[in-house]
Amino acid sequence: MLGRRGSLWFLAVPPYLWLLLLFVVPLGVVAAISLLPGSGRINFGAGWPSLNHYREVLDTPAYLRRLGISVGMAFVIAAAATVLAYPIAYFLAFRARQRATVFLILLLVPFASSYLLRVMAWKLLLGREGAVNWVLTSLGLIQEPAGLLVYSQAAVVITLIYVWIPFAALPIYAALQRVHPSHLEAAADLGAGPWTRFGRITIPMSLPGALATFSMVFIPTVGEYVTPSLVGGTGGLMYGNLIQDFFTRAGNWPLGSAMAVLMLLAVLVLVVVALRLVDLRRVAA
Amino acid sequence: MPARPSRFPAWFIAFACAALLLAACQSQGGESGSPGASASAGGTESAAASVNEPNELTVLEWSGYEDPAYWTDFQTASPDTAVDFEFGISDADILSLMEGGSEADIFHFYTGWQQFYVDEGLVQEIDTSKLTNWDKVPDSFKKLGQVDGKQYFLPWDWGFTSILYNTDHVDGEIESWDALFDDTYAGHLSMWDDGPAAVTVSSYIHGWDETAITDAQLAQAEAEWKAQKPLNLHYWTGEYTDFCPEVQSGDIWVAYAWQGCYADTLYKESQPVAYANPTEGRNSWVGLYGISSQTESYQLALKFLDDKLAATSCGNAVTNFYYGCVNQEVMDAVTDPVLIQAFGIDDPSILATTNFTPPVTQAQRDAWTAMWARVKAE
Repeated sequence: MLGRRGSLWFLAVPPYLWLLLLFVVPLGVVAAISLLPGSGRINFGAGWPSLNHYREVLDTPAYLRRLGISVGMAFVIAAAATVLAYPIAYFLAFRARQRATVFLILLLVPFASSYLLRVMAWKLLLGREGAVNWVLTSLGLIQEPAGLLVYSQAAVVITLIYVWIPFAALPIYAALQRVHPSHLEAAADLGAGPWTRFGRITIPMSLPGALATFSMVFIPTVGEYVTPSLVGGTGGLMYGNLIQDFFTRAGNWPLGSAMAVLMLLAVLVLVVVALRLVDLRRVAA
Repeated sequence: MPARPSRFPAWFIAFACAALLLAACQSQGGESGSPGASASAGGTESAAASVNEPNELTVLEWSGYEDPAYWTDFQTASPDTAVDFEFGISDADILSLMEGGSEADIFHFYTGWQQFYVDEGLVQEIDTSKLTNWDKVPDSFKKLGQVDGKQYFLPWDWGFTSILYNTDHVDGEIESWDALFDDTYAGHLSMWDDGPAAVTVSSYIHGWDETAITDAQLAQAEAEWKAQKPLNLHYWTGEYTDFCPEVQSGDIWVAYAWQGCYADTLYKESQPVAYANPTEGRNSWVGLYGISSQTESYQLALKFLDDKLAATSCGNAVTNFYYGCVNQEVMDAVTDPVLIQAFGIDDPSILATTNFTPPVTQAQRDAWTAMWARVKAE
């Protein structure tokens, strides 16, 4: 037998090794590339490390503005996905009862299809001859199909909210499962109505799950580039698209890496500030 | 307090791994960084290696070119050879992949980037004496594959860039590249998502020397493209993915385009379209293949490229994909009126005014792509 200590090592080493090799080391390489003095071929022997690429990003207001827009879009998407996922999680935790497993599987069904396929479906829905335009023209709300539903910032926000909702429901569902019925019964015995019980017990106890959901959606969405490139048009592009461009279209990996590192730092700062403002342990208590 | 058992700190392990990785990258860069060595290695090494060459090829391509129709002659002649494809999404991406140590034996890129491959020792000379179809290629195309008088690249596909427009929505003929900036077509314009292409268009409109764009000219181009940005439905990235379908659905009226979409739309008769002959001249591009300086299958790579020039493979590029091919016999045999129109075969004046894509320097490439990134970020 391995014993307690041995078991810990046995369980902990593979994931830590995995993270180290496939996350920490690549991140270190990206940081190293961002310090290369030139812009062409990746050659670590080309000269002394330089902050030129960071300077270029910080001296370009358009890049910083696009980062700000991306953070704002990610905030709206994360907030909307969390709010919209909450009723689904609530239903699964308190109303679905024995059918909860079935509904949970149904919730996860979209993941069986390709991400690209789902985003392309939105392109069809929001397109000039898509379902949304058909409904609006049929109802007489617009005379001619509005061509700009797709290829806009709004299309990116709508599509990403849709993509995230099933993911977003899961942490909230897990948190709601910890709300023991006896708490709600005790509150009812003391005269609390349904809304009071929801506001004073359910919401606070599920808040850590909701905040985890928010972070889970917000952090990767800041760097999103696939959905904006498919439905964003020229106005809905995000900071991630610029990073992708520098890697794949410009062949300027050092500048792209500097932009990626700066985005990582910006997100880290935001998360740290958020954790300072919201004390999860106090919220949970 | 009991002493904590000693262990390697996580930062130490991360540092050690990163150092190993960086060292590996550095040594790889050093090996392939000598242009002289690789350029001269082509002839001698290949002859010696031909006996024991692996019977497999890797081609660094653009998505779509892996279609067997594009290399059917090789497939028929060498059915036992394993051909794998890797993909790049832009000329810069393909160069980066080759610089990064891609194991591709053959790579495909477009005019304007030849010098980089030679300077960085990524390519070796092509022994044209072994190409049975080489004499079918006009000298003007052959010259595009030469650097310093040596034939490093094999030209293959070619085409035009001009303005494709929907004649139902555009009054009269489009006669200038500045139609891309015409707010009459707001929301129905589409520019290719590419910085150097944007600078090329600006240089045509203003009559600038494309190879010597000044900082002031670049700043002017940037301001103009920023003002043009809201007029676009979107910047397109793939001819047959996010561009041609929108032309054929009637959402895009005026666009920067290659002739492939023009021919495709004519065949499908989905929209009435025309392909402009701007007074500033069309642009023309030529696709080139190079053989990696690191290949162990030089003779096989030569055979692959020679077969690409053969009638069926070249002909398929013309008839299936509406791209020109450098085999002149194939182009001379084109009788389809749509293709004749798409390639401007019936109007020699088009070629006389066409601007061929010139080589760019690293500094120009960086400045132009950064300009475009700022336009997109605005």
